[in-house]
Amino acid sequence: MVKGIPVSIKFFAVAYVAAIILFLIGPLVVVAGVSFTAGDYVTFPPQGTSLRWYEAIVTSPVYLDAAWTSLKLAVLVTISATVIGAAMAIVIHRQRLPGTTFIGGMFLAPLVLPTIVFALGLLIAWSSYWGATSLLTLWIGHTVIAIPYVIRTTLAVLATSDKFLEEAGRTLGAGPWKAIFYVVLPQAMQGIAAGAFFAFNISFDEAILSLFLRSPEIMTLPIQIYTQLEFSPDPSIAAASTLMILLTVIMILIIDRLFGIQRVAG
Amino acid sequence: MHSIKLDLSIAAPGILLLLIAFVLPVTGILVLGIENAEGSFTSAHLVKFLTDPFYLAIAWRTVKLSLIITAICFIAGFPLAYIMARGGPKLRLWLLIVITLPLMTSVVVRTFGWMVILGRGGLVPQALNMLGLVNRNFTLMQTETAIVVGMVQVLFPFMVLSILGVVTKIDRRLEEAARVMGCSFIQAMRSVVLPLAMPGVVAGSLLVFTLSASYFITPTLLGGTRLPVLASSIYETATKTLDWHFAAAQSIVLLIGVLALLVPYTRLSGKANG
Repeated sequence: MVKGIPVSIKFFAVAYVAAIILFLIGPLVVVAGVSFTAGDYVTFPPQGTSLRWYEAIVTSPVYLDAAWTSLKLAVLVTISATVIGAAMAIVIHRQRLPGTTFIGGMFLAPLVLPTIVFALGLLIAWSSYWGATSLLTLWIGHTVIAIPYVIRTTLAVLATSDKFLEEAGRTLGAGPWKAIFYVVLPQAMQGIAAGAFFAFNISFDEAILSLFLRSPEIMTLPIQIYTQLEFSPDPSIAAASTLMILLTVIMILIIDRLFGIQRVAG
Repeated sequence: MHSIKLDLSIAAPGILLLLIAFVLPVTGILVLGIENAEGSFTSAHLVKFLTDPFYLAIAWRTVKLSLIITAICFIAGFPLAYIMARGGPKLRLWLLIVITLPLMTSVVVRTFGWMVILGRGGLVPQALNMLGLVNRNFTLMQTETAIVVGMVQVLFPFMVLSILGVVTKIDRRLEEAARVMGCSFIQAMRSVVLPLAMPGVVAGSLLVFTLSASYFITPTLLGGTRLPVLASSIYETATKTLDWHFAAAQSIVLLIGVLALLVPYTRLSGKANG
């Protein structure tokens, strides 16, 4: 008779999974803990509880400006990356354009190519052709790295969609553009929406491009936190970080609802 | 013919953006790294990197840390991927959320958490102090250990997801057959599951290695300026000394290393998904 998995291994497995969860989530919990401290220093466990550091950031012009810049940027990136990414996904899915596979590969390149190389390239190219970096530079950079996510989620949905519906639409008299807007896009909506939330999250959290292209005009929230970490960490960083974690959790839950987190992983 | 025109007009804005904002800047780096101030070819920047002991030490540290990080991600990630693949759908969903959360959190936020935990008076130094292993002022900050710990948290999900994709496709009956024929659980793991999961393991390792070689925020914040890795050296050169030629040359070194590993990666992950 074959024995099941030995009890000792099962026991070990539970302890191991618990340790992994602690390792992955622990640092985030610590950040949230620090943010509620009543003391003046970054310590964990926190000294007492208060919301004073939240009060400090919502009344600090530096943090408010940074949050506003990040939000503005993330919304712009969401729009541009979603429109371009969805359009590219439709074209890649149809495989009618010669070289579609190559084009598809090129668009996924920003995922695997070290962001630092792209960031340096964009900084140098922008500085030599147009001068000082601005919100526009960062908008373009974030759009390039967010597009692959929109393409992937949209393609995943298109792969399971019924390709004859578009033909049916055409046969029933819809023009090629009409067929795209009324048949293909609604079919792909779920993937496009999930991609849009990804794009927002990527832009809002991104720090590498933002650091390279940094200028006083584009002090985003991650850069504000980074700068303070380098010089004088105080619990206000923890409060800002906790709000960012909260936003990420909300994004993950929305993406899971829209699209299924299982498919993101696949 | 008509439909090709339509597709082309849908794709045109995206292709244009990619060419101008991605292909052009990256190509620019490749040129700049092998060019002197007058614009003619020189290998001086590359030679400087490859002969100066200071930069060689940086390259070695980058490779060494990336190897350690990859090994830890594999050892810790493989069992988790297996548990996720064989566990119930509910467990899998929750574990996926747990791995996705650090993946999607901003790198500065994650790293800040480790600074609190590993720094002076943090949880880990305090625990070590209570065990009597270190004195009160002990800190793990500015050490290679801190870099490894912080990076493993970031890159762990990539390894788990790569292995998970392959393990879910392994026929359970193969394991059962091995057990029926007398293998213990561990033996079945080692001689059936692990070999079959190899494409996922190798793909995950290549991905983790290349990513860990190209991150610079976590190493800079946790390791400090005394422990530079290749990516942080690129950042320093580009923003502090403003030597763009040399920053580009270092990027070329990074790029060549990464591409050498990514070519087998795309082959493997194509196979694993196909």
